[in-house]
Amino acid sequence: MRFALAYPLTAALALTASGTTAQDLITRDRVGPADAPNVMTFRLTAFDLYSSDDATREFFEERFLALMADYPDWRIETQLQTDNIGQEQARMLEQVRAGRGPDCAMIDSSQLGLFKSAGVLSPMNDHFTQDQIDDLFPFVRDGVSDADGNVLAWWWFTSLQVLYRDASLVPDAPATWEDLQAAALTTVEAGREGVLFNGGRWEGTAFDWLPNFWAQGGELVDADGRPVFNEGDNRDKMLAAINFYKDLVDAGAAPSRVTTIINYDEFNAAAAAGTAGLFIGGNWQYGQLRGTLAEDDFANWEISELPGPTADQRATGTGGWTIGAFSEDPTAVEICARMAYEIYATEGNAFQGLLPTSASLYDAYDAFDGPEYDAFAEALVNGVARPGAAIYPEISNQIQILLGDVLSGAATPEAALDAAAAAVDAAYERL
Amino acid sequence: MIKDRRVWFWFAPVLLVLGGVYLVPVADVIRFSFSDATLLRPVTGYGLGGYRAAYNDDSLGVVLRNTGVFTLLSVVCLQAMGLAIALLLVRGDRRGLWGMGALRTIVLAAWVIPGIANGLIWQMLFSEAPFGAINSTLRLIGLSPVAWLSDPGNAMISAVIANVWQGSAFSMIVFYAARRAVDPVLYEAASVDGASPAAQFAFITIPQMRGALLVNSILVTIQTLNTFDTILALTGGGPGRATEVLSLNIFNRVFYSYDLGGGSALAVLLLAISMALTLVYLVVLMRRGAR
Repeated sequence: MRFALAYPLTAALALTASGTTAQDLITRDRVGPADAPNVMTFRLTAFDLYSSDDATREFFEERFLALMADYPDWRIETQLQTDNIGQEQARMLEQVRAGRGPDCAMIDSSQLGLFKSAGVLSPMNDHFTQDQIDDLFPFVRDGVSDADGNVLAWWWFTSLQVLYRDASLVPDAPATWEDLQAAALTTVEAGREGVLFNGGRWEGTAFDWLPNFWAQGGELVDADGRPVFNEGDNRDKMLAAINFYKDLVDAGAAPSRVTTIINYDEFNAAAAAGTAGLFIGGNWQYGQLRGTLAEDDFANWEISELPGPTADQRATGTGGWTIGAFSEDPTAVEICARMAYEIYATEGNAFQGLLPTSASLYDAYDAFDGPEYDAFAEALVNGVARPGAAIYPEISNQIQILLGDVLSGAATPEAALDAAAAAVDAAYERL
Repeated sequence: MIKDRRVWFWFAPVLLVLGGVYLVPVADVIRFSFSDATLLRPVTGYGLGGYRAAYNDDSLGVVLRNTGVFTLLSVVCLQAMGLAIALLLVRGDRRGLWGMGALRTIVLAAWVIPGIANGLIWQMLFSEAPFGAINSTLRLIGLSPVAWLSDPGNAMISAVIANVWQGSAFSMIVFYAARRAVDPVLYEAASVDGASPAAQFAFITIPQMRGALLVNSILVTIQTLNTFDTILALTGGGPGRATEVLSLNIFNRVFYSYDLGGGSALAVLLLAISMALTLVYLVVLMRRGAR
């Protein structure tokens, strides 16, 4: 927070001195003076500087102006990304390789490995202290670093999956798969739907289910990015995790409609309708539930770490976004790193309620004082990031298909897994 | 035959625009289909690898069967619904019934809704949650809820319903225009001869609308073969692969597997199927017309 207090003053002085207004300095495609001789491009999502929420947009505009006051000869040309993350990031990588990419960009954490293995990211080591790097959660530090210890991007916020439960029906947090099935059946007896989770054809299904595989120590790909989830012990772990979901549906602890759920909003709707007893959702849904449910109803909802095969075997999937630099210009890399940390990773997260990637930041801001953040921070210790291998999207696609086939009774776990592995192997050969 | 060569001067802009917009992309897809291109790297070589990978895929049979079922059911229902609504409108117009304009507008409203929005609307209607719209209504009248989307068989029917609901308006427009163009004297003469309404429909309406039927068959078949946005939003192709049609499979192959070459090879297959079906329609309907 070195720059926190200086932001408003610096920005105000800069604006007064130049006689310009914020509207002159920030447009839909630019931050900084239009006639600044040095230009860097920044590709970002539409949720902060260009947010449709006025308060969020103004907050980030102020922070960007304050930062750019330190670089009066520079302007940032901004480029918005679309919501189609996979396609957008694949295109960006192609553009960077062809020398037409941005100087700095937001990179989805699940895609970061692709950019790392392509060798297109400029190290940011000089712009972060060792304390800042050491303070990152282990899975984050591993994710942003290369084998030589270079920091190739800054993971500025993360997300994770947790188990939501109506504590009036399930007072104690289920710690194991067995506990979860028993708890879900309790809610069914009370007229609820049991446990809800994503089971349709979309990324959320694979993302929510994979912790059951990871908790057993399973690995999707090897160090070279080759798919290995159907080899050796991994196959047994995959089958155990598939059968866990299958047993939930077969026992009536989860409704068969889980194969149609392709949106986290379904869980909020079920909670609001009073039909949900338990669901596997994202941390961001806690705030949504608070805003959706009546105060008394919301008070019943509690969160806990995802159950594992045993109480000691736990994992949760982590997501979020990183910011990385593709530029060779040291000043552009510096601006990129400062944006990542000073605007997004610290104050920006506190403002937006996004989960920081460093343990100490949870104590640094009042915004993270709620008990839910203690639970999130605790669960993040067992966080596992999706592999940054190029084959991951196809692995996810095949997991979605196999879970749909198994849960709808169209295939046995073994046959579905073999079909998925064959499809992934064929796709891997074409990459 | 026009002998004036200056006609090509006037045709040139149209040919250039059509060529640029349609032919060049098609040529590019064919080129990619023989390449090893992925979304992550440019072409490094050409060959039949893309075709081998795409056509040896074990899931292709299921995907083609889904495509056939979805297209056949959709086209039949689209033609029937479009024709029924068009005849209803014509009869309403003839009798001067109030509200025909409003009915046309309501039917057309479904047509202008984007495919993704259409899928989301029907996903809410078919929701199997206790508060799902259609199932709640069924429970209200004492019927059992239906597994609209979680049952693999029902999911395909649900996808067809969503597609037909959106696409019927287009068929209606084509048939409404064609029906209005039929000379009323034919019906008057048939009535004088004592022909029943069914006979008039079979021996006047259908033969007179042969051209419209042909054009509409071709257009809705191609349109249905290319439909993937509605299914993407409604089921994503699931459960499993129960509703994964060829166009959605191509999308998945390119944007999940990054396999541009293999995806293009399947796109060429889709193009070939569309062209073959168009030829079949042309031959069948022209033969009947010649009789």
